[in-house]
Amino acid sequence: MDRKIKVVMAKLGLDIHWRGVYLVSQFMKEAGMDVVYLGNKFPTEIVEAAIEEDADVVGLSSLSGNHLALGPIVVDMLREKGLDRVKVFMGGVMPPDHAKRLEKEYGVQKVFLPDTPMQEIIDGINAAVGNTH
Amino acid sequence: MAYRKDDGNKEPVCLFSEEHVRLIKDQYKDWFDKSLREEDRQTEGKYFTHSGIPVKLAYTPADIENVSYIEDIGFPGHAPYLRGVYPNMYRGRLFTVRQLAGLGAPEDCNERVCYLLDHGATGVNILFDMPTIRGYNSDDPEAEGNVGACGAAVDSVWDMDAFFKDIDLGTVSTSIVTHLPSTSLVIPGMYFAVAEKRGTPLSKVAGTCQNDFIMETCVGSGYEILPPSVSFRMQCDTVEWICKNVPRFNPISFNGYNLREAGTDAVAEVAIGISNAIATAEELIKRGMKFDDFAPRMSFFWDLHNDFFEEIAKCRASRKVWYKVAKERFGAQNAKSMLMRFHVQTAGVTLPATEPLNNIARSAIQGLAAVLGGCQSLHIDSFDEAYSAPTEEAALVSLRTQQIIQTETGVCSTVDPLAGSYYVEYLTDQMVQRIFDYISKIEGLGGLVQAVESGWLHREIVSYNNKYQEKIENGQMKIVGVNYMKTDNSKTAPIQVFEYPETYSRQKAKLERLRKERNDRNVEEALSILRQKCHTTENLYPYCLDAVRNLATLGEIEELFREEFGLWSFPLL
Repeated sequence: MDRKIKVVMAKLGLDIHWRGVYLVSQFMKEAGMDVVYLGNKFPTEIVEAAIEEDADVVGLSSLSGNHLALGPIVVDMLREKGLDRVKVFMGGVMPPDHAKRLEKEYGVQKVFLPDTPMQEIIDGINAAVGNTH
Repeated sequence: MAYRKDDGNKEPVCLFSEEHVRLIKDQYKDWFDKSLREEDRQTEGKYFTHSGIPVKLAYTPADIENVSYIEDIGFPGHAPYLRGVYPNMYRGRLFTVRQLAGLGAPEDCNERVCYLLDHGATGVNILFDMPTIRGYNSDDPEAEGNVGACGAAVDSVWDMDAFFKDIDLGTVSTSIVTHLPSTSLVIPGMYFAVAEKRGTPLSKVAGTCQNDFIMETCVGSGYEILPPSVSFRMQCDTVEWICKNVPRFNPISFNGYNLREAGTDAVAEVAIGISNAIATAEELIKRGMKFDDFAPRMSFFWDLHNDFFEEIAKCRASRKVWYKVAKERFGAQNAKSMLMRFHVQTAGVTLPATEPLNNIARSAIQGLAAVLGGCQSLHIDSFDEAYSAPTEEAALVSLRTQQIIQTETGVCSTVDPLAGSYYVEYLTDQMVQRIFDYISKIEGLGGLVQAVESGWLHREIVSYNNKYQEKIENGQMKIVGVNYMKTDNSKTAPIQVFEYPETYSRQKAKLERLRKERNDRNVEEALSILRQKCHTTENLYPYCLDAVRNLATLGEIEELFREEFGLWSFPLL
């Protein structure tokens, strides 16, 4: 229980909107998590960073439509590496039914859509990771 | 740069006589002490505009006692252009209804553009998908998942041709939302190449491209980013070449909009836009151009946020600041050099996903502020902003909102109708001073390019965003339906979402055909010359245009830039 929750945060691919992901990263830090913000990265690089950082959580931000194409790749690559314990969260702008599909079909732990209070994100991560800690 | 209230020795004639003002001050005190309850008096000092200007309960002539009509406000179309850039304003020409269009493949966009033009849009505003914005081809591995999403894919001159099928490039005015200087060297060139091919002389081609190095290095994070000084050089190359060769085309739109969306207040938005204009002007003068050669073609782009009166004051103040910069700092002779013309987009960042139809009201109010602020063209965001690119229905509501403002409200009948409001004039004056102070701050850091290189501007954005978000989290900033007057079912309101047409395979096929049909030797030669020119101080525009004419792709040219100039690391990492 002493170890802080380790989070690797990334902007997915070419998406340029960094306001949200950076804010969420800072709120996570304030909530006592150990956060590494990678900037813009593609799935292979994100998974490599998750391994290197021994991450509990990977957070992916997408506001320009690449969520369905790239999000599931990150989940799959983590599974292939045997890192089933790493939970993948996503956030950004996307149609709500895409968010549901990411959660139900593609193994994303939870997608946080616009207007989500920061505390809800923190609570969501704590709840998902808490029992493995 | 100090803001000077009055630059001559002569005593300005103020709006109200000293005696009158003294009387008002006495009676104001009396009114404040006797007419208000103690709890009302206690509220004074607790209200602020969004950017932090104190707001009093009521304004009187005493709050603008030093304002002279002739010197500080002036007539519409006259210095200092506070009231508008043209004497007749919207009676002469209504603001251009310039709704964004961009989705899928260029062929799909052509349909949407024709749809908007058929429904009364008077300008075209085209935007691109992320790979195009950041300079990749649709079939580059980096483009995966983004092709045709949130904008159109444009890989080559063929795509530009398809985008504008059946549209006369000699009559339409097109805003090409390129964002980055590195792609502004290429994508407008594709547009010019299409015009040439169709026999439309470049002297008739009208429009604007965005071309802002702040977009490349600060507003957006990127996978691969060119260094600020390189991006700035490219920005200036485009301005220089287009001013000399495409006289009706605005080669730059100083983009306060996206900066504001990324996270600044109204003061910083305008101050940074104008600081970039100052830096650009200084560079072009160094290259031997005269201020009056390029300044008339500089345009600006503002974001109209929720604080209604502050946003109107911002628009008015921005014209006056630019006038003073042009005249006093650069010695402009041509009146057109002193006119700040700007496009407005309503604030996407203010549009929540919750109860999306409420966004029609928010956007209409922001759009109204833009018109009261005297904008030259306007895009009103669609209510489904927080879901996807707008559906046709949502895009039509935005277009109709503009037309309702133009024709049903009467606000276009008279110029700058809020002039003389004690509050609006007070705010305008405050904005002018604060914008000048912020410009001075940037100059103190060594200018805008350095303020970006050092990461200062990125830290400003982060600090603003932290405060903004904190106010939302703690409920100090109320958002109806989100953290205020929330209902249980507000999140479940059904909304139709725009589905992007499948684009990747069509773009890939086109690129394959292009690579087969083009003359490889010509492409290689054009690219090799461009590669050499990167290491000289020569203007890169003509060499990019030549590469484009020879069917070099956007991705090829941008990759060349990345190789030759190297990459820059985003300061917040």
